[in-house]
Amino acid sequence: MKKIIYMAAFAAVLASSCKKETVISEHDGELTLSFDAKAGTGDFALNQDITIGTRTYNFKSLRYWVSNVVLVKSDGTEYAVPESYYLLEETGPVVVQEGDYTYPAKKREDVVLKNIPMAEYKAVKFSIGVDATHNDNLSLQAGELSQLSGMTNVSWMWHTSYIFTSLQGTVKEGATSKTFLAETGVNTNYKTLSLNLPSAMRVSSAKSAKITLDVDVAKAIDGIDLIATPTIGASQASVMATLADNYATKAITVTIAK
Amino acid sequence: MQACSKTEMSPVPQPVELEVPANFPVPPSMPDNPLTREGIELGRRLFYDKRLSGNNTISCASCHSQSLSFSDGVALSQIGVSGSILHRHAPALLNMAWANNGLFWDGGSTNLESQAFAPLANRDEMNQELYELVNELKAVPDYVNRFREAFNDPEIKTGSIVKALAQFQRTLIAGQSRYDKFRRQEPGATLTVQEREGLQLVQSKCMGCHQGELFTDNRYHNNGIDQDFSDASLEGLFQGRFRISYDPADLGSFKTPTLRNVMLTAPYMHDGRFATINAVLDHYSSGVLSSPSLDPLMKQNGGMPGIPLSNSEKQSIIAFLKALTDESFISNPRFSNPH
Repeated sequence: MKKIIYMAAFAAVLASSCKKETVISEHDGELTLSFDAKAGTGDFALNQDITIGTRTYNFKSLRYWVSNVVLVKSDGTEYAVPESYYLLEETGPVVVQEGDYTYPAKKREDVVLKNIPMAEYKAVKFSIGVDATHNDNLSLQAGELSQLSGMTNVSWMWHTSYIFTSLQGTVKEGATSKTFLAETGVNTNYKTLSLNLPSAMRVSSAKSAKITLDVDVAKAIDGIDLIATPTIGASQASVMATLADNYATKAITVTIAK
Repeated sequence: MQACSKTEMSPVPQPVELEVPANFPVPPSMPDNPLTREGIELGRRLFYDKRLSGNNTISCASCHSQSLSFSDGVALSQIGVSGSILHRHAPALLNMAWANNGLFWDGGSTNLESQAFAPLANRDEMNQELYELVNELKAVPDYVNRFREAFNDPEIKTGSIVKALAQFQRTLIAGQSRYDKFRRQEPGATLTVQEREGLQLVQSKCMGCHQGELFTDNRYHNNGIDQDFSDASLEGLFQGRFRISYDPADLGSFKTPTLRNVMLTAPYMHDGRFATINAVLDHYSSGVLSSPSLDPLMKQNGGMPGIPLSNSEKQSIIAFLKALTDESFISNPRFSNPH
């Protein structure tokens, strides 16, 4: 009897190790989120005149936090990417701490997520901005969160929090020209997006996967008159809420998932 | 065996329970930054270290002196790195473990951790470039060890610096005044007749804001020291909490400071405009200015602005406030300069 049990256990070990070997050929993989900045139908670019509607824009900077990325599998279960706080941007040099430090000019559109569980995925969720826990406590420096990226509140000497999104430049219509700074922030403007992929997408070590998203600044500023309101911040609460809603509801769309 | 040797290499910091006076409420929990023996001691060392200023001339203690209940005794300081006069009066630091409704006079910071970045980085205060501070501390082997022990992290991070400072500040508990001993019915503890009369006056006229055993509600009130808040300059500096909330009801509102140790923390108000406690009481009894955002608690004069007080009532209140001073707090060696 004893012998039989030993034999059975041995067989089980063999079977499980065999099974493991077949699994090893394909395992967890990488997924790139590519945020492709656009200005209407054309590409977003700095320091170029870009026409949107009746106005000519010349952008100096686009920056925003993408946070708390969640991937939804085809079976409906979810995988939350840990420590997922990413600063997406296309910007010239940024003066930080009143000039003590300069954050270098940078263009960053891709977020590479590693160790994503092997599975088929149908949707992606993420937020624009920084959740209240981290926005209210600058010592919790998860992911890329930092006080020294110039994305803490412009007034953080007395209102310590993050800027969620920032778009800067000039706008012209006829003879009128304005320099604008359109920012969002404060906890009520932390918005979560849930975007279905055009088709289900497999993530595994077998091939690199990529989700491409358009981020259209023309839609971000839709319905907002930057000549009338060239500075958008906490003191323009309703316009700031519109801007934050635009980022959450229309500016960002998934174009390709493969 | 492996687990044992690992523990020896990176000792877990030892948890610390705050010693809360029996008459105090339970302090709010801070799960993101639990108090530890190592974190508190590191915070104390940083609090008193002039390396935390850009030109290494001032520490936190330069404007928060233990002998003055961690205040500085001047209306608006100009000992910051730039030498410019500051816009706000340095608040006293005591019973900060309960201060969970905003820091700064207008409450723009949610906790001590976030708050610390502002005086550290502000050009007119410590003007400390934060990366440079990390490098300065990395060059001191004692700090490298202490940060590793306190946060189980081989790296010194700006987040750990402010967490340590916050931990030390949360230990600054003042609750051993004569009033406290009387309140807790400790043997031999008494208040004089005049002091008791002062206590009753405070309870009936001041407790709307200076609530409970902490003698503050940690909220924001327009107490009638100004009445025109149209000046929006300096990013709303003169508009009080309105610059944070953008709620017109918050125009001219500032945070209620505690009455504890108040006899050590002159001058008074967010800009230190009143040099003496007498001037403060004179304001409440006969100087309250009316405005739409004036707190209704300031209208104790038959619906009109002001909290009428006779001269003898003022003297009784002052006698009581003296009994609220915790002398042991300002001589406690655990709060003093360790360097």
